[in-house]
Amino acid sequence: MRVVAWVAAFVALAALPFFLGSYHNDVYRKLLLWVALALGYNFLFGICGQVAFSHFAFYGIGAYGVVILLFQVGLPLPIAILLALLICVILALIVAIPATRLEGFYLALVTLALAQLFIVLLNEGGTVTGGAGGIANYRLPPIFGTRVSGPTYTLVIVALLMLTLALLWRLDRSWFGRACRAVRDNPEAAAAMGVDVARTKVIAFTLTSALAGMAGMVYAFVDNTVNPPIFGLENAFLILFMVIVGGAGRHAGAIIGAVLLFLLPFWLSPVVGHHHQLIFGALVVGAILLWPKGLVGIWDRFSR
Amino acid sequence: MQDFLELAVSATASGCIYGLMALAYLLMIRPTGIINFAVGEWAMVAAFGGHLLLSRWEWPYAAGMAVVILFMAILGSTTERMTVRPLVERGAPLLAPILALLGVLVVTREVISVSFPPDPMPVPFPFDIGRLELGPIGGSYQSFFIITVTALVFIGAWLFFEKTLWGKSFEAVALNRRAAALMGINLSRVTTLSFAGGAAVAGLAGLLVSPNVSAHYLMGVPLAIQGFTALVIGGVGRVEGAILGGLVLAFAEQLTSRYAPIPSGFAQGVPLVFLMIFLLVRPTGLLKVRA
Repeated sequence: MRVVAWVAAFVALAALPFFLGSYHNDVYRKLLLWVALALGYNFLFGICGQVAFSHFAFYGIGAYGVVILLFQVGLPLPIAILLALLICVILALIVAIPATRLEGFYLALVTLALAQLFIVLLNEGGTVTGGAGGIANYRLPPIFGTRVSGPTYTLVIVALLMLTLALLWRLDRSWFGRACRAVRDNPEAAAAMGVDVARTKVIAFTLTSALAGMAGMVYAFVDNTVNPPIFGLENAFLILFMVIVGGAGRHAGAIIGAVLLFLLPFWLSPVVGHHHQLIFGALVVGAILLWPKGLVGIWDRFSR
Repeated sequence: MQDFLELAVSATASGCIYGLMALAYLLMIRPTGIINFAVGEWAMVAAFGGHLLLSRWEWPYAAGMAVVILFMAILGSTTERMTVRPLVERGAPLLAPILALLGVLVVTREVISVSFPPDPMPVPFPFDIGRLELGPIGGSYQSFFIITVTALVFIGAWLFFEKTLWGKSFEAVALNRRAAALMGINLSRVTTLSFAGGAAVAGLAGLLVSPNVSAHYLMGVPLAIQGFTALVIGGVGRVEGAILGGLVLAFAEQLTSRYAPIPSGFAQGVPLVFLMIFLLVRPTGLLKVRA
């Protein structure tokens, strides 16, 4: 029965782009990617209780990584994907292992510096990263002899989203998911129950960073261009805001938050122009003060 | 050598700005444990205050400065009452006010960006533009003004923490909130005061730096990160750490961009590398925390 539901969701999400125009298709693809990012970040922040500002940087590392390995180094696609993923994992481990040894806010601060440093390196990377202009005018190499593009490429994004959700869903219900929640709610008690707190944090951070990297690799062939402004710090805040507004710790919350905050600027632009960030900030303060369980929490209260 | 001395004055001046930003964080972190990234935006608000009062309405500098600092203190304590206190009273985890203040950061920046044109806005110098030569050391009036004001602020902060009962109560709260409350210290008043002080110091930094860089709605985040890096280098334990961290950071930044054989763009990465290394290797900072 559950398999039927997953297949139905996949078919519905995958069929939609064939009925959309090219503009709406583009919006739809980015919406799916944001949902995938928010789901991953929710596992780290909402379920494991760790704040990091590097989630969007890893999205960028994945995107730049695969493009550089494919077109500057000239590797075949499967190897480029695996290597880019490996880079994400190694970087995440380098940051997380020392940062999670310490109590408190260290992971957030180190990853804030990492995210900023990433942008500096992109801008100064010369011919490797293409500097401020980034890299453009490349195309996804043929997969089994066929060029995947247009609405068909949206299938890849839907597959990524469904796999991300399925993986996080399973993990959340496993021993590891419960360990993560225990680490979030009471690290001392978790340690007393035999949970290795530091290792749990490191695994959660590395896993979600790798998922962000995967989403980035998929993103690289959505616009066929990667450049520094796309991966700025603003978006790291936006993912955090999506999860808080939607409801941290719940997959449904991450999805609702991502859909709402992604689409809000489109609805608000006739009213507030480019100042939708003002509404976002107010929503976040309001959410933390008034509805700490997010929009999902409000939904729960009324549906009971 | 001449070149180095010239550099030293301007590096000291920017180190003072970073030190003030670090002090703003420190005033709030010590009693509450709350890292408030909105300090950068507060510096930005004060820079716009300076633009409005000093440049557009042409007030005398001292009066404008006093009004801006007073306004910042009120803004800081209001922010604390509206966003931090309800969460602390509810017993929310420490993360909640930190994240709420990130929301405040965005709201503050956007309110300014809606209210003013997007171009950099001029803020006048307190004195005419000119050079002051003290023996072999020379620099702009503004550099010396920044250094003097910062020195006064840090001496004041040091005296406050070391010599006054109020300062001692801040320290007591920092060491042990419960015990301090049991000793009759009013926790919420200490918290409100720490936010008022933090906003005033951040505002002062914004006002001092703005004649050189102009008031711009995106100036906050870099200041917030530089100030935070200074704080991490110096350590959150002591007031002197803030200014020490600021000076170390500014000299590292300016010396690498002047003398190191790397492209100037990479020099922007120097403070970030410093921040990461200190956080990962020496998270207590350079100075030892006093027992």
